Amino acid sequence: MERAENISIAAWPRTSARQRPRVSAKAFAAILIGSAIVSAAMASWLPLQMSIATVFLFAGPHNWFEARYFLMRLPARFGRSRNFFIVAFAGIGTLTLAYVSLPVMYYANVWSGANWSNAIAVWNTAMVLWIGALVLMRARQRRNGDWFWVLPIAFALCAANWLSPEMFSLAIVYVHPLVALWFLDRHLRRTKPEWLSTYRRCLMFLPLLVAGMLWQLSRTSQLADDNGLFWRITQHAGAELLPNISSHMLVSTHVFLEMLHYGVWIIALPLIGATGAIWNVKTIPIASHSRGFPKLIAAILIFSLFVVAALWAGFSVNYAATRDIYFTVAIAHVLAEAPFLLRMI
Amino acid sequence: MKRTLLSIAAVGALLASGIYSFGDIARPKPSPAEGKVIFYSGLSVTSDPKAYEARLQISQETLKRLQEAAAREGGTSSLSQSIMHSSTRTMMAGMFMFLAISFAGVWLARSNQKRNTKAVAAVLAIAFMFGLATVMVRANAGPPGYIRWQNLPQSLKDGKETAGGVQIELVPGDQNMKLIIPLRPKREGE
Repeated sequence: MERAENISIAAWPRTSARQRPRVSAKAFAAILIGSAIVSAAMASWLPLQMSIATVFLFAGPHNWFEARYFLMRLPARFGRSRNFFIVAFAGIGTLTLAYVSLPVMYYANVWSGANWSNAIAVWNTAMVLWIGALVLMRARQRRNGDWFWVLPIAFALCAANWLSPEMFSLAIVYVHPLVALWFLDRHLRRTKPEWLSTYRRCLMFLPLLVAGMLWQLSRTSQLADDNGLFWRITQHAGAELLPNISSHMLVSTHVFLEMLHYGVWIIALPLIGATGAIWNVKTIPIASHSRGFPKLIAAILIFSLFVVAALWAGFSVNYAATRDIYFTVAIAHVLAEAPFLLRMI
Repeated sequence: MKRTLLSIAAVGALLASGIYSFGDIARPKPSPAEGKVIFYSGLSVTSDPKAYEARLQISQETLKRLQEAAAREGGTSSLSQSIMHSSTRTMMAGMFMFLAISFAGVWLARSNQKRNTKAVAAVLAIAFMFGLATVMVRANAGPPGYIRWQNLPQSLKDGKETAGGVQIELVPGDQNMKLIIPLRPKREGE
C-alpha cells in the first residue's frame, strides 16, 4: 500500500516550481515588504472601511483557496495517518457544531446566555486539548524527539483560558491570521528553500511594522461605532474587552493581520505553485488516485464557488448579518488549519 | 508519663476554652455592596468662577450609551473581579495550572541533563511572557488613569481644564452623585 506520507510529499510541485524561477528572492522580499507596508498604511488610515472591503472581497475566496489547498494536502489513502485524520475531522466537526450552536441557541431563546464566559471557556479548553492530542499523535508518527512538553503547555493555556476566556478568544482572533505565515514558511521550505532565509528575514520586519502601527495609533481617539456594523467591527477587534486601548488601534491591527492572512492564501501560495493549477483537480491526490473521487472533488470545488458567490450576494444584501454568520461559521477553517499545519511539521 | 498526660490535658482544656471564647465572636459584618462598572468614558474637570452651582454636562450620545450600558447591566469588570466572582473558573484555572506544573515536572524528569537547562530557560521565558502579559492585562495596556489627574489641583487653581478617563459605576442606594478622583499624595522632593 502506498504510504500516506509519500503521497502528500509527492503532491508538492517541487520540481516544476524550482525549474521556473520567474521571481528572484530579492524581488520576492520586495513584494512581501511592499505589500505589508501598503496593507499597514491602509489599515491604519481607514480601518473600518478596509475591514468592510477586505472581508467583502476576500473572505469567501480565501476560504475557497484554503479548502483547495487542504484537499491537495489530503492523502488519497490515510494509511498510518488514519487515526490522526479521524480525530482531526471529528474535532473540526464537533467543535464547529458547538461553536455555531451557542449563538443559535441564544437567538432561538433556548439558552439565556447565562454563564457565557464558562461556555466559551469550555469550548476553548476542548479546542486546546484537541490540538494537543493531534500534536502528540503527529509526534508518534514522526518519532523524532520528545514531544511531551506539549502537555504542560496545553494545560497552561487551558489555565490562562479559564482565568479570562474572553481574552483567550480575542487572542485567537489575533493569532489566527499569523498561522497563514507559518503555512507559507513550511511550503517555501519544501518547494523554494532558496527563498526561505529571505522570507524569514522579512518576517522579522513584521513585529517592527506592528510596533510602529501601535506606536502611531496608540493615542488616536476611539472610532465612532455609532452604527451596528461599526460596533460589530470594533467589538470583534476587542474594543469592549480593552476599553483603555484605542479602538482605532485595535481595528487597524486586526485588519492588517487579516490582510496578510488573505494575501498569503489568495496570492502568495497560489503564485508559488502551492495549489497547482486551481482548475485542475489532478493536482489533488484524492482525485487523481486510481481509487480516488475526481468527480466528487470537482463537484465540491464547484459548489464551493457557488457558496463564495452566495456570500458576496449576502454581503451585498445585508452586510452586517452576513458578516456575523460568516465569522461564526468560519471557525471551521480556523480549526482545519491545525491538523494540516501539523502534517507539514 | 503522668506529667505528660497532665500537660496534654491542660493544653486540651485550654484549647476547649478557646473554642468557647472564639465561638462567641460576633459574625463578621456583611461587606457593603460593591459597585459595578458598566461604562468607560472620558471626563473633563474645569472651574467656572461665574457659576453658582456645580454642573454636570453629558452629551446626548454619551447619555444614550450610558443608558444602553445600564440596560445591559454588563460592562467590563476587571480580570481580578471576574475571577473572584467565579469560583468555577478559579477552580478550573487552578486545576489546569496544577496539571501544567505536574506534567512540566514529569517532562523535566524524563529529559536528559543537557536538555533540562534549555527547558528551564524556556519555562522561565514563558513564565516571563505570562507575567508580562498579566501586567499588561491588569494595567489594561496603557498608562494608569491617575497620571492624567495628577495636575488637577494646580489646574483648578489656574482655571485650566483637566481631562482623563472615568468609569461610570452603579452603586446601590439613593445618595448623591460622587466623583472620585485618583489623586496620589506627592512625596517630599517631587
